[in-house]
Amino acid sequence: MRLGDASEAVAVLSFAFALLLVFFPVVFPQMIVRSWQRGQLTPMMAVFAFLLDTCLYLRVAYLQSAKPKPVAAACLGSLPLLVVGGLSVLLRSAVYHSLSRGGTNLQARVDEEILAHTYLGLVSAVFLPFLVIRLLQPFKAANS
Amino acid sequence: MPGWTSLKWLLWTSLYLVPVVFLPWAISRTWVYHHNQELPLNPQQLFRRGELGLPSLILACSVIWNLLQSQFMVHTIALGSVIMGLCGIMAAAVWVETYCRQASGRDLRPERAWRDSRSLALLVFSMASVLQILLDRFESVVRQ
Repeated sequence: MRLGDASEAVAVLSFAFALLLVFFPVVFPQMIVRSWQRGQLTPMMAVFAFLLDTCLYLRVAYLQSAKPKPVAAACLGSLPLLVVGGLSVLLRSAVYHSLSRGGTNLQARVDEEILAHTYLGLVSAVFLPFLVIRLLQPFKAANS
Repeated sequence: MPGWTSLKWLLWTSLYLVPVVFLPWAISRTWVYHHNQELPLNPQQLFRRGELGLPSLILACSVIWNLLQSQFMVHTIALGSVIMGLCGIMAAAVWVETYCRQASGRDLRPERAWRDSRSLALLVFSMASVLQILLDRFESVVRQ
């Protein structure tokens, strides 16, 4: 497994996010904030990251004519959910602190925090499982 | 209505391509011209040891610096800095790994180093663009 395989997909995801922010600067952030307020954002992100990670892993395994390994599959199955879950707790904490700090234009600031966390959460949930697998590879090679 | 002011950050990060890709290419062309040599000068040959990872780390550091200067909540700054830093370090690690493989006489695969460093550089570049757009939006909210 090479990090380059996952990097291209995350880069495409980032460019898509950037273009949505440029062309729909009001509607797109509003959609994200509304789905966070309804409690739908975290499950949606988890499902999206899980599916993207699975597709990427299967594609790489197919291209390299390799059999998917159980440890890597378990890592890819659990880590996106753990990352998205952990970051959703972090986002709640950030929103709470932002509200308690007060100041002007508070709602807009909180919306921007939610937008930033959504993007960083997506990138982390897709990229970090592959990073963990890549970092574990030398240990596996040394043991075998 | 599109947020054209956000588009300036895509152009701003594109400016990194000038010193990173164009300048080495132009200098190498000048060298070839002065020494009457025939050398392959496409980017794949020029950066075949994963050199693109080094400017990626510099770009990541500059975005982390901008994040630290922003008024985002500390949670968001920490998350963005860690993810950006990890991507930058992994991009630079491609060059380190290629150098170590070459110096130790182990299996050297320049095409793999080029592919990995290109993908990770693209990832850092796209993440830098999105984070600059998010910073720009947040600054405009704070100024209101």
